Amino acid sequence: MRTVNRRALVFLVVLLIGSVAVTASAMATESGSAAADDISAADESIPFDPFEEEIDDPFEEEGESLPSVADPLVGFNRAMFTFNDRVYFWVLKPVASGYRVVVPTPVRTCVKNFFFNLLGPVRFVNCLLQGKWSAAEGEFGRFTANTTVGILGLFDPAGKEPHLNPPEEDMGQTLGYYGTGNGLYIVWPLLGPSTLRDTVGAIGDWALNPFTFMQLINADDVDGLTSSTANVIIYSVRTVNDTSFRIGDYETLKNAALDPYEFLRDAYIQSRNSKIAE
Amino acid sequence: MTRRILAGMLLMSIVAFGPMAFASMEPMAVIQEPIDAVIVILNDPQYKNPETKAVQRSEIWKIVQPMFDFNEVSIRALARNWRQFSEAEKEAFVDVFAQFLGNTYIDKIQGEYHNEQIVYLGQTLYKDEYAEVKTKIVREAVEIPVNYRLRKKGDGQWKVYDIIVEGVSLVKNYRTQFASILKKKKPAQLIEQLNDKLEDQNRRLAGND
Repeated sequence: MRTVNRRALVFLVVLLIGSVAVTASAMATESGSAAADDISAADESIPFDPFEEEIDDPFEEEGESLPSVADPLVGFNRAMFTFNDRVYFWVLKPVASGYRVVVPTPVRTCVKNFFFNLLGPVRFVNCLLQGKWSAAEGEFGRFTANTTVGILGLFDPAGKEPHLNPPEEDMGQTLGYYGTGNGLYIVWPLLGPSTLRDTVGAIGDWALNPFTFMQLINADDVDGLTSSTANVIIYSVRTVNDTSFRIGDYETLKNAALDPYEFLRDAYIQSRNSKIAE
Repeated sequence: MTRRILAGMLLMSIVAFGPMAFASMEPMAVIQEPIDAVIVILNDPQYKNPETKAVQRSEIWKIVQPMFDFNEVSIRALARNWRQFSEAEKEAFVDVFAQFLGNTYIDKIQGEYHNEQIVYLGQTLYKDEYAEVKTKIVREAVEIPVNYRLRKKGDGQWKVYDIIVEGVSLVKNYRTQFASILKKKKPAQLIEQLNDKLEDQNRRLAGND
């Protein structure tokens, strides 16, 4: 009886996530297109100018030049930006710098490889969802090779093969691929910049990640806390390890900006757009 | 898929235009030569002494500056707002923006160069007027794709007008920031703001030396 109930609960949760995803993506598309309308309307109000031809950039993809993203939560977002900025300088950076000194580069590389490989199935599913068959093949091949020859993904023997290294896909990109707009910009505490679409995507990817997934199927015999605690620990270790390779990059970005918040927001949107276009 | 097509196109363009383009300076060489020269300076033991950092910085700037067309960078970064600028303001803006960009990025590579490798992936030409040179920076286990976009000037010289790091265009990013500042402020105030940032930078750099 208890088993049945938990199965039903898991089913309901999945259903809920699914329906939230659909509604949110519909909302996102709406607000996205509304934002796009605003901008194109603004464009039309400017008379034709041969000078504009001058600044035409042949490498610019269509729509890519939309200034940014709807940001109605700007007050909250700026507060979260400041919070994350402090977390970086007060916690993450010192921890990652110390970790970098203590842990030799080959070990850090193994840790990085391990987590990257672990999430291979998530990327694989997203390749499939976007109908990118050869990329899916690549992800499958890389996962197989690195899990076996690469000893559970600690090493990356497939790294040198271009066809085994397709661009990384995630569910935010999958939604974007099917035309879902960004919706609105959200800065999450600790997790950083995102949009409505990418947040929904991240929930989907979270459900697909091996730990959560096992938990969701074997709902009967694993304690609920284990999975989320494991997820938090894994996320923290991964963040510290990844940051240890990139200390100084955020600082440069901040120094180069007139308004670091806007700089980061635009950089996030541009980077996501280019990933979706890949 | 697109990559394969791109690679094919690239190969074809190299086969077709290779010998011809070598005659004048190829876009890729326009990028590669100065970057290699900068790496030599970064590795040069005579600049290990902190007192020589300022000299090193100006040596790097001498090499890097001619790679760029800062006038075009500024026009693109300001987009429509460029027309609001008077001739004197245009000149002042180009000058301060170039120095500001130079300072920011030279400071970065100077402070943190740890034998990163630069891999030159190839170039794409568009109508023989525009070119994109794809590179990546390999740092330990991290790869950072960096693409340079160039335009051929009237005198046949290729000059960089935008850099795309991990899919983020520098010009477009500044365009967003400048546009939002110019919504509330006048061009002269934007120039002043950049000047203030530049002075801050110079003070900090002088303190480091």
